[in-house]
Amino acid sequence: MGEPAAQRAMRSGDANVRTSPIGRLKERDAIGSRIAVRDAVKTYGSFHAVDRISIDIEPGEFITLLGPSGSGKTTLLNLVAGFQNLDSGEILVDGKPVHNVPTHKRGFGMVFQSYALFPNMTVSQNVAFPLRMAGVDRATAERRVAETLEIMRLTEHAAKSPSQMSGGQQQRVAIARAIVRRPKVVLMDEPLSALDRRLREQIQIEIRDLHQTIGSTILFVTHDQGEALTMSDRIAVLNAGRIVQIGRPLDIYRHPTDRFVASFVGESNLVEAEILQKRGSTLTLKNRAGYVFSAESRDTIDVGRATVLVRPERIAVSNEPTANSTPVNVTSAIFLGEILRIEAQMEGGEQLLIRCTDMADRPLPAVGDRLHVSWGAADCWVLA
Amino acid sequence: MTSASIGAEADRPADLDLVRRLKDPALLLLPALVFLAFIYLLPLIDLIRISVSGPSWSSYFARVFAIPLYWDSLVRTMQISVTVAGLCLLFGYPTALLIHRSRGIAQALIATAIVLPYFIAILIRTYAWMVLLGRNGPVNKLLVSIGILSEPAQLLFNRGTVLLGMAAVLLPLMVLTIYSSVARLDQSLSRAAMASGAGPIAAFWRVLLPLTLPGMGAGFLLVFVAAIGFFITPTLLGGPGDQMFAMHITQQADSVTSEGFLQALGVVLLAITLAVVAVAGRFLGFEFIWGGRKLTEATPKTASPRATGTRRRTLGASAADLIGWPLLRLFGRLPASFGTWTVRLMGGLVVAILILPIIVVMIISFSSASYLTFPPPGFSFRWYEQFFSDSNWMRAFWTSLVVAAMSAAIAIVLGASAALGIVRSSIRGKSTIMLLLVSPIIVPPVVLGLSLYSLFLRFDLVGSVFGLAAAHAIGGLPIVVVILSASLQGVDSRLEQAAAVHGASSLTVFRLVTLPAIMPGLAAATFFAFLHSFDELVLTLFLSSAELKTLPLMLWGDVNYRLNPVLAVVSTLEVLLVVAGLALARPVLATSRKATTQ
Repeated sequence: MGEPAAQRAMRSGDANVRTSPIGRLKERDAIGSRIAVRDAVKTYGSFHAVDRISIDIEPGEFITLLGPSGSGKTTLLNLVAGFQNLDSGEILVDGKPVHNVPTHKRGFGMVFQSYALFPNMTVSQNVAFPLRMAGVDRATAERRVAETLEIMRLTEHAAKSPSQMSGGQQQRVAIARAIVRRPKVVLMDEPLSALDRRLREQIQIEIRDLHQTIGSTILFVTHDQGEALTMSDRIAVLNAGRIVQIGRPLDIYRHPTDRFVASFVGESNLVEAEILQKRGSTLTLKNRAGYVFSAESRDTIDVGRATVLVRPERIAVSNEPTANSTPVNVTSAIFLGEILRIEAQMEGGEQLLIRCTDMADRPLPAVGDRLHVSWGAADCWVLA
Repeated sequence: MTSASIGAEADRPADLDLVRRLKDPALLLLPALVFLAFIYLLPLIDLIRISVSGPSWSSYFARVFAIPLYWDSLVRTMQISVTVAGLCLLFGYPTALLIHRSRGIAQALIATAIVLPYFIAILIRTYAWMVLLGRNGPVNKLLVSIGILSEPAQLLFNRGTVLLGMAAVLLPLMVLTIYSSVARLDQSLSRAAMASGAGPIAAFWRVLLPLTLPGMGAGFLLVFVAAIGFFITPTLLGGPGDQMFAMHITQQADSVTSEGFLQALGVVLLAITLAVVAVAGRFLGFEFIWGGRKLTEATPKTASPRATGTRRRTLGASAADLIGWPLLRLFGRLPASFGTWTVRLMGGLVVAILILPIIVVMIISFSSASYLTFPPPGFSFRWYEQFFSDSNWMRAFWTSLVVAAMSAAIAIVLGASAALGIVRSSIRGKSTIMLLLVSPIIVPPVVLGLSLYSLFLRFDLVGSVFGLAAAHAIGGLPIVVVILSASLQGVDSRLEQAAAVHGASSLTVFRLVTLPAIMPGLAAATFFAFLHSFDELVLTLFLSSAELKTLPLMLWGDVNYRLNPVLAVVSTLEVLLVVAGLALARPVLATSRKATTQ
């Protein structure tokens, strides 16, 4: 892993260019900071933008704040960045409170939704800016800028002005500027939302790879649940100024704690059902259509009614009745490519959303067709 | 279908062609252009013709430059104007930042404190300074009471008061110009600078300042150009040693013997103004005059060419390494509140300078004393009674109302039509036409008055209400054109298309979609055109007669003759008029600003 690798990479394709300088970087990079937010409160008049949020972020963790607009995720990020001051509570970075540390002395890197590249500077001047502010001498700064531009595949754009570049390129420059100082913490405020889907997915992967390499703690804000699931070590789902649930992407998706998380992350069917009996952690339930099924639950509820999450892709569909199935009437069927998206009505009137993979022996159902659906205990999740 | 109707259809293209030509929105520009050609361009050309009609073309000019009085005055005018523009820039920039950085009610209050004086007559604001700094004024009283002065001193009629008064009058122009360029910036830029480790001063120096440089340039030049032609403020606040160039023109205007020489004085002032504007327009784009955006700005500038000589670059770079960057980093150690407090203090001072005189004058208008003194010994409505019972004041008041209403009507009809023409037509040379329409703003009023005087004499219009209204409309027209073309550009053309697709004729589209959308702009434009005429003094000085006296003219006479609280009453009424107008126009200003900054 040295100069020859880099030279080889220059001649060959993109993928190699990306891997080799990152590898060089890795050897001398430190781990990110530990961030702790304790009972953070920020209000605007009577509006609680951040309402007693506490969160512990491990060194080097990629954590995503996910929530709808107005949920407080950007406010929380701005509080960590130091653009705004807490009303109460505290924020600790590596155990030290940062309340009295102004933004420019926190030493973080930050990527903005609008790129926020300085239009009066070239790409390399933009990337050099944090280094010059940190007092790095010109020669070192130039070398570090060149390295960082190489990682972000921007070398040939170094002398351009930001306005001459495409949105994707501009955002890569912004990322380069955020990481050039090797900050222990990188904050990202919806950095991909201004890009088109293809570019977004590409840069998602780049950011993921970059995180693996530089080891900084990354605090990433988005309202796009797909983005959050793809990129994060952990996701904190926010609603109305509070953290509703925090966990690994798989846990958030499979085992949401409440209706909000269940419907905000991924598509969902929330089936109302009556609890018939409980055995261990398995409940037996019956819904309005009379369909009796089992479900796993972490909670202790054992009587009354429950809301059960059934993901659309977990529903098994067949044209004929099966061992434990219930009939539904198709109200809409759309072919999405690799997936069929079917909406159907159960006998009690409840609407079901079904996603099943496209297969040779499965014709696209017509409206009014009768199908038979079923799901097992492992396919559904009882919400608290 | 019969053959006759087919024949009729075949004829239609020729008719259609004519109809289409008559419907060309470019024709809407004609009324305003004809109006300006006759009452604005022609007199100016005539002015220039007379100025070169001496024995040789240059003989009058040679006299202007040969007489030390005029040469000295020209130099003095330049010095004063540069100083005033510099002062306005120094104090205006922090004020613009202060508006930009405050939120909610504080922002609204500060912005009002800047905008309100902008629309109050220069004469009245200058009068307020005379009251404030007068022998019995609050400043003298304060200085005596805290023991700095043993007895009231003459604070007026020196260079200092001229600079202070002119800077105060022109500060709103500077603040608003800079504010529009600051507000246009992406707010995350300064956050990005801070996140990159730049302290407040470094972020200001490396990011904010370079990006707002065009706005600063525009503000400086607008103030400078306005200051060159200043007449009212230096006359009232200056001493014999503070004569500015425009004052000579009014002093000479009465003597018939100076025909030709007088015009030469005007042409010199005009030429200097136009030269400054031309140079400025070369760099900033002429749009700076009306606060528009340079059209070519969108084309990306190629990154600084390498050809600029590597030697100079490395020299500059090492200087930056040695001094610049370390200095910026050193400033980064200053507490973050340093910048905040600088902005607050300087902006606060500006707000005080703009608002205090007005408040003092409003308080004095309720004084019970028979002479100007502050604080008033008691309160009464005696001066209001005197104003409303004095037939001279009342007649002048009504004359002003009538003239202003007529002038606003002329300006709005011509201006609205011209704005439609300029926005909706695809005529070539739009920016030249716009420049012509807006140019009356930059011509010194003294020069305009002088040139109109001979036109009015020839057509026997001196002292006619209509003539005066038309003359005022020269300055009202640009206001209307700028506001209305901004609101027209803000109209979503998709709405109009949607109406047309669903069956509305073009007239119906205009009535149902376009007109409601520009209605607020129309109202604001009418108000400002009215106000422009209502406040106008300099042209009126040239064009009115003993029988035709407007309110500003009466004020002017009284300010020079005796300072009494009746003037404060008129000032208070004017302030109330402007406040009411601004309150009505508030929603409009917000939208039209949005439209111009897009």
